Formats: sequence, C-alpha cells, structure tokens
Amino acid sequence: MADAHPHAMAPTRPGKTRTAPPQRPPQFPMGGRYLAYTAFGWTGLIYLLLGFLVIEAVWALGDGAAAWQEQLLRYEHPVYIAFHVLALASVVFVGVRFFRLFPKAQPPRIGPAKPPPQSLIHGTLYAVWVGATVVFGAILAGGLF
Amino acid sequence: MKHLLLKIEPLIWLLFGQGILLGTILLTGWILVVNLGVPLGLISDDGLAFQRAHELGSSLVGRLVLAALCALPLWKGAHHMRHVSIDSGGAGRDAVVAPLLYGVAALGSLLAIAAVIRL
Amino acid sequence: MAETLVKKFVVTRFDPDKDEAPRTESYEVPCHPDWKVLDALNHIKDEIDGSLAHRWSCRMSVCGSCGMNVNGQPTLTCKKAVSDLPDTVEVTPLANFPVVRDLVVELDGFMEKLKSVKPWIIRAKEKAVEEGPMRQSQAELEEFKQFSMCINCMLCYAACPVVANEPEFLGPAAIALGHRYSVDSRDEGAAERNEIFRGEGTVFACSYANECSEVCPKHVDPAAAVNQAKFNAVIDWAAGLVLPRGGKE
Repeated sequence: MADAHPHAMAPTRPGKTRTAPPQRPPQFPMGGRYLAYTAFGWTGLIYLLLGFLVIEAVWALGDGAAAWQEQLLRYEHPVYIAFHVLALASVVFVGVRFFRLFPKAQPPRIGPAKPPPQSLIHGTLYAVWVGATVVFGAILAGGLF
Repeated sequence: MKHLLLKIEPLIWLLFGQGILLGTILLTGWILVVNLGVPLGLISDDGLAFQRAHELGSSLVGRLVLAALCALPLWKGAHHMRHVSIDSGGAGRDAVVAPLLYGVAALGSLLAIAAVIRL
Repeated sequence: MAETLVKKFVVTRFDPDKDEAPRTESYEVPCHPDWKVLDALNHIKDEIDGSLAHRWSCRMSVCGSCGMNVNGQPTLTCKKAVSDLPDTVEVTPLANFPVVRDLVVELDGFMEKLKSVKPWIIRAKEKAVEEGPMRQSQAELEEFKQFSMCINCMLCYAACPVVANEPEFLGPAAIALGHRYSVDSRDEGAAERNEIFRGEGTVFACSYANECSEVCPKHVDPAAAVNQAKFNAVIDWAAGLVLPRGGKE
C-alpha cells in the first residue's frame, strides 16, 4: 500500500481523533485497468515529440529541395522507424480510448439542440478517422491531387 | 500561478481536446505514409517530391492542415504530461511543471505558425 | 445443510489511541455459501472480535454505507459474494480517505465537496404553490436521471487517481450530483455551478481514467457527468467572454 496525497479527502477542519493517512488505490499506477490509463497519459510524451518532428519536417520543406530530401532520408533511420511504429500504435490507442469516451461526454442538450444517439456519434468518429486517413494518406502518397 | 492556471483551463482543455481529436485523425495518415510507408519502401516517394509537396503545403488549406498537424498534438502532449506529473505525486510542483509544459506547447505552436508561413 | 466456505479474512485494524499505524489481523470465517463480505465482517464482530469497527446499514446496496476495498477493489461489501472471492480476502478501508478507525473512513471531506456544488434546485424566484407544480417531461427527466441514482457510497473516490493526488478536486460523485441539478429542467443554477466547476475543485483535473464509472455499483457513470460538466463549463466560459454576464442573483 502506498500513501495518497496526505490531504486527500481531508476535511477543512480535522476531526476529534487522529486519522491514519489515506492510501492510494492499491493497483495504481501499473495494475489492472490503471496500466492502460498510465499508458494513455504517457502517450503525451509521444505526441509532444511528434508535434516537434512535424515542425522539423515543415521547416525543412520551407528550406528547399535539398533540406526536404535530407529530411525524408532521415526517416529511413532505424531509430526513426522504431519511434514511428510506437507512435502509430500510440495514436491508434489514443483514438480508440478517446472515441469510447467522446459520445458519453456530450451534454444532454446545448440550448435547444440535443446530441445524436451515442452509437451514431461513435460510428461517425470512426468513419471520419478512417476516411480522413485514407484521403490524407492518398494525398501524401500522390494518389490524389 | 494556480489562479492563472484555473482561469486558462477551459482554453487548455479545448486545445487538448482538439489535439486528441484532430491531431489523432491527421497524424494517422501522416505517420502511415511519410514516416513509415515511404521510408520502408512500401509506398512510392513520388508523392513527396519536393515540388509537389511544397505546392500542396503552401496552399491555404495545406498551411492550415500542416499548422494543425504540428501544433495540436503539442497541446494534447503537454496537458497529458501534466497529468502524468500530478499522478506521480507532483501536485506540489504543478505550479512549475504546468507553465513549463504549456510554455513548450505555446513555443511549439509559434514555431508551427512560423514554419507554415515561411513555406 | 449448505456447505461451509472457510475463508481467511485479512482485515485492516487501526485504533488511534493504541496504534502508531494501521496493521492487519487475520480471521478464519466459516462462511455460508450465500454470504456477502458484509456477513463475514458481521460474523467477525459478533463471534470473534467485537472490537472491529465498520459501517453498514441497509444490506441491499442502496444506502452506500458499507463501501470498502476488497482484494484491492472498491466494493459494496453487502453486494460482494464471498463465493466469488479466493480463499484469502483482504478487506481494507476505502482508498484515498483518511482512516478514523479500522474500516471506518473520514467522510467530512466528501460532505464538504458535495455541499460546495449546491446539489439542490436553484431558482431565481421560487414558484408559488398556487401556480402548481414544476412540470417535467419524461424526456427532460431522462437527461439527468442516471446521475440522480448516486447513493454516495464513494467507491468512485476510492478508485480515482486524481482524488489520490489532487486534494482540492471535487471528485466524481460531487460533480455528478452538481451536474445532475444543472441539467435538471427545473433548475436555474447552472451558471453558478459552472463557476464552482471552474474553481479550485476544477472539473478539468479529471484525467479520463473512467475508473469511477467502472466501480460504480449503481451505473451512474460519473465519468460521463464529469466530462459533460467540462463541456458545459467551457461553453459557459466562452459565452462569458463574448456576452457580459449580468450581476450575481
């Protein structure tokens, strides 16, 4: 058992008797369902790196043909390949987990407007994800435009 | 600092939410083609030839998409790493960690805007 | 005669007058196959060790009193069958709460958070009795009904990693109950609650663990409420940037 924050769930004024310190959930952070939650948090690091890597690519594109070619060659390095395999897995993991939550996170109404059924929202999210991936991927691969 | 963080929290959450939603949707195709498909020789590199890439990237839509692709994941990343810090008992250091992380995301967003402007 | 299941219960004990820190004691309990964990705890208290302190009341999962961690999981002990558990059962007080004694946790922290979200109908002006009742359609009821099913058992607090690390966080049940009222068609206090939800106890501290909904015995889905509350708080914040708010009621 590990201690939670010493003031977790503490009242503003202490009670009349001494209390034992709060214990954090026994399986947190790596046991049971918490493992997926912890991994979800750490995808933050992957996304930070990805953001800066795309900035690097766009910057190279702005520097001219030679810089852009050099950038594309860099992606062939095993370290870049390994990172981007991990990154792809992370992005898919994030998408699946977030899309599971997204429908139930919509308020029951915004003004007079009610959201569509949750299953429709869920299906639409996946349709948009797959569709955008196909279209954007086709554009990048030279198959469109 | 804590009060300031609370004031901007809705904005951070919006950026974080779009970082997950749009960032994930856009990143999938980008990684599949640019970072894996082409380098591994599974997809021809003709699509990424400089002239074509520059022409598409420097269009208005291209600049907006590239800016989103660069910047939005940074906000998702920063916000999630803040949670990771807090989850590891870091509530006490949040007043330092949060501005640092959001500062990195903000700096990256400025770089992203600069990168697409100079295309 | 029904077969007896003999289980070893390893129970946290803590007497603030005698113990420096919580310790455990083991009890061999001959359980009837139909027993719940609460029956075993009551057997310990009645037949083996009368000094054991634990909360319980309705024995039918509606009062929320008997929440404890059983083999690491926040559980209503009146609901969990001993026959579903291995031969050794660890019973500890709810995680994330200060411990008053044995399996009894300090509740006042939760009560303060709950009260702070104003979990009641707020009206600018009370409707006069002679004007009749406030009518509400079935559809309007369905918008918040699941969130009203909360029995304040606090299993969600025991499961939440944010509660463990951010003491000011309002927490799943308090936010769900506040949101329940903000979404109630009879209520006019949403703006007031949105300010509270963006304050010190900020709903935005929630990091999407969804553990609260996983452990909730009443299928309230507090994670849905918390994330809906975030959405509403952002809309309220954005509207406040564009439209000046009138004076506080």
